[in-house]
Amino acid sequence: MTVPTTFWRLAGVSYVQYVTKASSTLRAALKEPAKSKALAQETFSYNKSVWSNGEQGAKKLTDSLAAVGK
Amino acid sequence: MFAQLARRAARPAATAAAAARRQFADAAPAAGLMKLNFNLPQETLYDSVNVKSVIVPGATGEYEVTADHVPIVAEMKAGMLTINHEDGEEEKYFVAGGFSLTHEGSATDIVCPEAVKLDDIDGAAVTKNFEAAKAKAASAEAGSIEAAEAMIEVETNRSMGNALGMAMA
Repeated sequence: MTVPTTFWRLAGVSYVQYVTKASSTLRAALKEPAKSKALAQETFSYNKSVWSNGEQGAKKLTDSLAAVGK
Repeated sequence: MFAQLARRAARPAATAAAAARRQFADAAPAAGLMKLNFNLPQETLYDSVNVKSVIVPGATGEYEVTADHVPIVAEMKAGMLTINHEDGEEEKYFVAGGFSLTHEGSATDIVCPEAVKLDDIDGAAVTKNFEAAKAKAASAEAGSIEAAEAMIEVETNRSMGNALGMAMA
């Protein structure tokens, strides 16, 4: 008898989140050099710029979204 | 009178011929072969390549797609995907998840976020991560997102260990 849904869906995790997590787990268990190449897929960063008078200010690299509002 | 009859008879024949003419299809592969498209977001592994068959690790069961397979869409679970090439060579990939779509005419699209060769997986790291994930799952609150994420890690590491031939408890 198949269950109509999955444990992750029941916990509030979407398919994209699930498959991203599974991919990260896969990448964490690779050997070098495949590991560094694969981990590059996961890295991301943000650029922050402040708008004033309809003009976009200079962009600055930010490592976390939490720091952006400050 | 006869000319009118002849013209009326010719009409269905003409439409049948028009229907028989291929609309917009690529040349069909040689008998016994099927087209494979294997794509990752970051890389195209195979683009419209003729292969003999593909063994797909479907979430509800593993299945093999050969030429003239019925169209099928399946979610893939973490597991081994095997491609049987035209020249008899067998190529295996470990996929983390994704989808496999087989169209009319057996052209198959495999899309997944990550696919690696078995040689690139580190067995010691798999065991270590598996134990760590099990501990995390045991200590997390039941039904929470942390517990679900830990379970995902447990399942993926277990599949990797099994693919490497290790017994994972």
